[in-house]
Amino acid sequence: MSVDMPVTQPQARLASARDYVELMKPRIMMLVVFTALAGMVAAVGVTGQSMNPVLACVAVLAVALGSGAAGAINMWYDSDIDEIMVRTSTRPIPSGAVPRGEALTMGLIMSALSVLLMWIASNVLAASLLALSIAYYGWFYTMVLKRRTAQNIVIGGAAGAFPPVIGWAAVTGATPLDAWILFAIVFFWTPPHFWALSLVAHKEYEKAGVPMLPVTSGARATRLQILLYTILLVPVGLAPVATGLAGWIYAGIASILTVGFLYFAVKVYRSRAGDDDAGDAERKLAMSMFAFSIVYLFGLFAALIVEHGFGLYFSAGGG
Amino acid sequence: MSETNPQVPPDAEAVLKAQKRRNIWLAWALVAFVVIVGVTTAIRIQQSDLSGGDRLYFSGYLDEAGKEKRDREAIERARAAEKEAESTRAATEDGGDE
Repeated sequence: MSVDMPVTQPQARLASARDYVELMKPRIMMLVVFTALAGMVAAVGVTGQSMNPVLACVAVLAVALGSGAAGAINMWYDSDIDEIMVRTSTRPIPSGAVPRGEALTMGLIMSALSVLLMWIASNVLAASLLALSIAYYGWFYTMVLKRRTAQNIVIGGAAGAFPPVIGWAAVTGATPLDAWILFAIVFFWTPPHFWALSLVAHKEYEKAGVPMLPVTSGARATRLQILLYTILLVPVGLAPVATGLAGWIYAGIASILTVGFLYFAVKVYRSRAGDDDAGDAERKLAMSMFAFSIVYLFGLFAALIVEHGFGLYFSAGGG
Repeated sequence: MSETNPQVPPDAEAVLKAQKRRNIWLAWALVAFVVIVGVTTAIRIQQSDLSGGDRLYFSGYLDEAGKEKRDREAIERARAAEKEAESTRAATEDGGDE
């Protein structure tokens, strides 16, 4: 076989399928798919409307593709800062496995395909919301907010909050208050979740010139903001019980998880996490809060799925 | 032409192999996409009742507005027909009296 043909530009290492999966930020994708699925199941349970299971699977696939597309666009744009930060330097673009242009192309094509799939599987409202959420994350958060303001996570958090609304819209063709309550849960959950991580990684953000809250306002202000947003999250997290969207199982799980989340927020607030002289214990505490925040969100949405998906909804008197 | 070109980097074959592998994955992804679109469209057509002027891919809230408009028009048509029937009946009765 002759090999004297032009090959692609030299690469630091050969790209594998894993690199392309990594480009789609699979961990975020899992959370996005899970919350979208919870939105769909809750919509079926509350409204009594149904969706063909195959179409529902395609709608979930569309959400996953959309999330992956936004992740690829984000990695394309942020490859310069990913290169600087140790935590992100092994990502497919900075490690040289995937060329930048390829990541952007992949992101744009997947965006179009995901919106198209959502449209043909459900309705134009769900497809429009999916397009909006991709643009919100891929353009508004990544290109406008992230490098300009310390409120990047707060405002940008809306991007990750769309999936349950998209799921609800896919089933019913509408977005009532209950769907926006699910949106609010993810929206108010995002700042304490992400700031807990940034307390540990703030030096890296500083090096890369990203104005995360600990970089612009210091660790103490960040710890206070974490506590305030966690307090705000308490009524929002329990709101589904008040509206009748959730029943006793959700009420029980949400109450326990809320106490846990508040416990971590108070502990982090009273600690020196993120300070220059912070030790290993403080770092571990911030990371524990970060990990617990994932459990919190997973628990809340899992409770909704259990109640509405398995016929275990017992009204807690709301609605 | 020789089997190995001295100007080509030693890992060029590996690069080409990786490219080929990626292309095969891409081809499979495209096939999967076509199948998904086909199956989805078939299910949507099966589920749809297009007789009332509904459109296949504009279901949901847009169709709500369309349905309401069609309902209003149908009611108006029924009222007009009723009115016409009444006036015809009145005219017939008047004719009978004479």
